[in-house]
Amino acid sequence: MKRYFREISVAAALTVLLLVLAIFAPAFYQGQPLLSLSARESPTLVVACGMALVIMTRQIDISVGSQFAVCSVCAGLLATRWPLALVLPVSVALGALLGAINGALVAGMKLPSIVVTLATMVTWREGLRWLRQGQFVNLPDNVQWFGLSQQTGQWTLIGAALLLLILAATGMRHLAIGRFIYAVGSDAEAARLAGIRPRLITFGTFVLMGALTGLAAMMNIVQSPQVDPNSGTGLELKTIAAAVVGGVAISGGRGNLWGVFTGLLLLACINPALTHLHIEAYWEKAIQGAIILLAIVADGWRNRKEAS
Amino acid sequence: MNAKSQRASRWQILLLRHETILLLVVALEWIYFDVVGQRFGTVDNTFEIVRHSVEIGLLALVMTPIILTGGIDLSVGSLLGLCAILFGKLWRDGGLSPLNAGFCTLVIGGCAGGLNAGLITRLKLPPLIVTLGTYSLFRGLAEAITHGVDTFTNFPDSFLFFGQERWLGVPAQLPIFLVIAIAIWLMVHRTVLGRSFRAIGFAPEGARYAAIPVNRRIGFLYVLAGVISALSAIIYTARLGQAKADAGSGYELFAITAVVLGGTNIFGGVGSVHGTLLGVAAIAILDNGLVHARQPREVAGMLTGALLIVALSSSALPQLVAFLRARRKETQPLRESP
Repeated sequence: MKRYFREISVAAALTVLLLVLAIFAPAFYQGQPLLSLSARESPTLVVACGMALVIMTRQIDISVGSQFAVCSVCAGLLATRWPLALVLPVSVALGALLGAINGALVAGMKLPSIVVTLATMVTWREGLRWLRQGQFVNLPDNVQWFGLSQQTGQWTLIGAALLLLILAATGMRHLAIGRFIYAVGSDAEAARLAGIRPRLITFGTFVLMGALTGLAAMMNIVQSPQVDPNSGTGLELKTIAAAVVGGVAISGGRGNLWGVFTGLLLLACINPALTHLHIEAYWEKAIQGAIILLAIVADGWRNRKEAS
Repeated sequence: MNAKSQRASRWQILLLRHETILLLVVALEWIYFDVVGQRFGTVDNTFEIVRHSVEIGLLALVMTPIILTGGIDLSVGSLLGLCAILFGKLWRDGGLSPLNAGFCTLVIGGCAGGLNAGLITRLKLPPLIVTLGTYSLFRGLAEAITHGVDTFTNFPDSFLFFGQERWLGVPAQLPIFLVIAIAIWLMVHRTVLGRSFRAIGFAPEGARYAAIPVNRRIGFLYVLAGVISALSAIIYTARLGQAKADAGSGYELFAITAVVLGGTNIFGGVGSVHGTLLGVAAIAILDNGLVHARQPREVAGMLTGALLIVALSSSALPQLVAFLRARRKETQPLRESP
C-alpha cells in the first residue's frame, strides 16, 4: 500500500475529477466525444510508455516530438503510394533507427542524454522544416481509420494502445528485462557487477522508445486527412509530465506503467473538463503545471516524512 | 618528468581546452561568413547580432552557475513570457510608468524564481521536474491573463530606447548586458561563492560537510534566474515594441545549448562563464551569418544541433589525452628500470 502511494494518490485525484464532472457536467460522459478523446490520446499513451521506460533507466529523451514528426511525415509520404500494412513496419523501423542514434550517443559514447536528445531534437525538427518548407502531406482516403467506419477505427486504436500498455506493464513486472531496467536505473554500477549490461539496456530502451514513437506516429496519421510537419511539438513535455505525475521517479529505478496511464488520463481530462465546467480553456497549461507541481510536492512531503 | 616537457604539456592542455577550440570555431565562422555573406562583417550587422542575442545571452549567463551546481532551469523562457505580459499589464492597465512597472516586474521575477527555489531546496525535489512544472505554469498563466490574444503595444519612445536605439554608439542594451556579464563572471570565477557552486556540483554532500550552506546557495541562484528572466523580458519588450504571451518560447533550450556548447558539464562542477559567452556568440553568428549567406534559416538549427554533439564529444578529448599520457607514464618506468 505504502509502496504505491503515488499511484494511488493520482488515481484518487482522477476519481475526484471524474466525480466532479459527473455531478456538475454529466455531458462529459456522452459516448462519442469521450471515444474521440480516448482515440486522440492513444498515440500519446504509447509514447508515454516508452518515455517511462527511458526515465526508469535514469535517462531522458526530449527528442520524441521531433522523432514523431519525422516518422509522421515519412509514413504519410509513403502511404500515398504503399498499402498501410507495409508503411507501418517502415515507420516503426525508422523510429527505431532514430532511437538507435540517441542510444548510441548516450550508451556508446557515454554522453548525457538530456543534451544528446536536445541536439537531436533540434536537428530532426529543423531538418524536417527545411525539407518540407511547412507543406502538409495530404493523405488518400484509404488511410483514414484503416478504411473502416470511424467508430471501429477509434476502438481499434484504443484497443491497440491498451494492449501495448498491458503487455509492457506485465513485461516490466514478470520479465527479466523489466527487472534489469529497474536495476540499471537505481544503480548502474551495481547492476553491472550483478552481470547486467547497463549500456546495452540503455541502448535498448532508446531503440524501443523510438520504435514506439514510430508506431504512435502511425496511430496519429490515420486520424486526420493531413500530416502537419509541425506535429508532435510539446509531446516530450506531455509524456514526461504524464510519467512524473504517474509516479516515475526522475532519478530512475522507480515507477509503474499503470501510474503513467492514470497520470496521462488526468492530464488528458483537463481540457474537456474545463470546457464542460465553462472555464476558459486558456487555463489548461497553467492547471497542467499546477498538477505537476502538486504531484511532486506530495511526493516530496512523503519522502521527507520517511527520511525523518 | 623534466620542466620542459611539463611546460609543453601545459601548452597542449591550454590549446586543447574547450574554450580555445570554441574561440577558433567562432573565428572561423566569422571569417567564413565575412567572405561568403554580403554585408556581414559591417559594424551595423555586428550590432544587429548583439541586439538579437542579448536576451538569450542573459538567460545563458545565469544558467551557467545553475548548471555548475548540477541543476537546471527550464522555466526561464516561460517566465520571460509571463514577465513581459505582467510588465505590459502594469504599464497599460495599472497606469504605472515604465520605470516603476519594470521595477515591479523584477520583483515578480524574483518571487517566481523563489517558487522554484523553495520547491527545490525545501522539499529536495529534482530541479528538472520542478522547473518543468513551473515551465507549464508560467506560460499557462501568461496565456490565461491575455487569453492568448491580448498584445501590449504603443510603449513610449523613452522605453523603446532600451531596445531599439543606440547609446554612445552601441546598442542601448549592450551596456546592461556587459555589466551583468562582468558581474556574473566575477561571481563565478573570482569569489568564494563561485567556488562553492562548483563544490556543490561536484559533491553536494561533501559541500555540506565543508560548511557550505548548500540550500541557501542553490536558492539564491534560482531567485537570481527569476530576476534576470524578468530583465530579459523588459529588454525583449523594448526591442520588439510589443509583449505577447508566447514571448521567449524555446529560449530555455537555446540558453542551455549555449551553456553546454561553452563547455559546462551538464552534471555540474565544471564550466566557465566566458565559455558560455562564446557559445552564445557561436549560435548567434551562425544564425545571422547563414541569413546573409542566403541559406535557409533551418540550416542554422541543424548545424547548432550538430555542433552541440561535436562539442560534447570533443569535451571528452582532453580526458582521452590525459588517459593515454597516464598509460605511457605507467609503462615508462618499467622500461627505464635497471
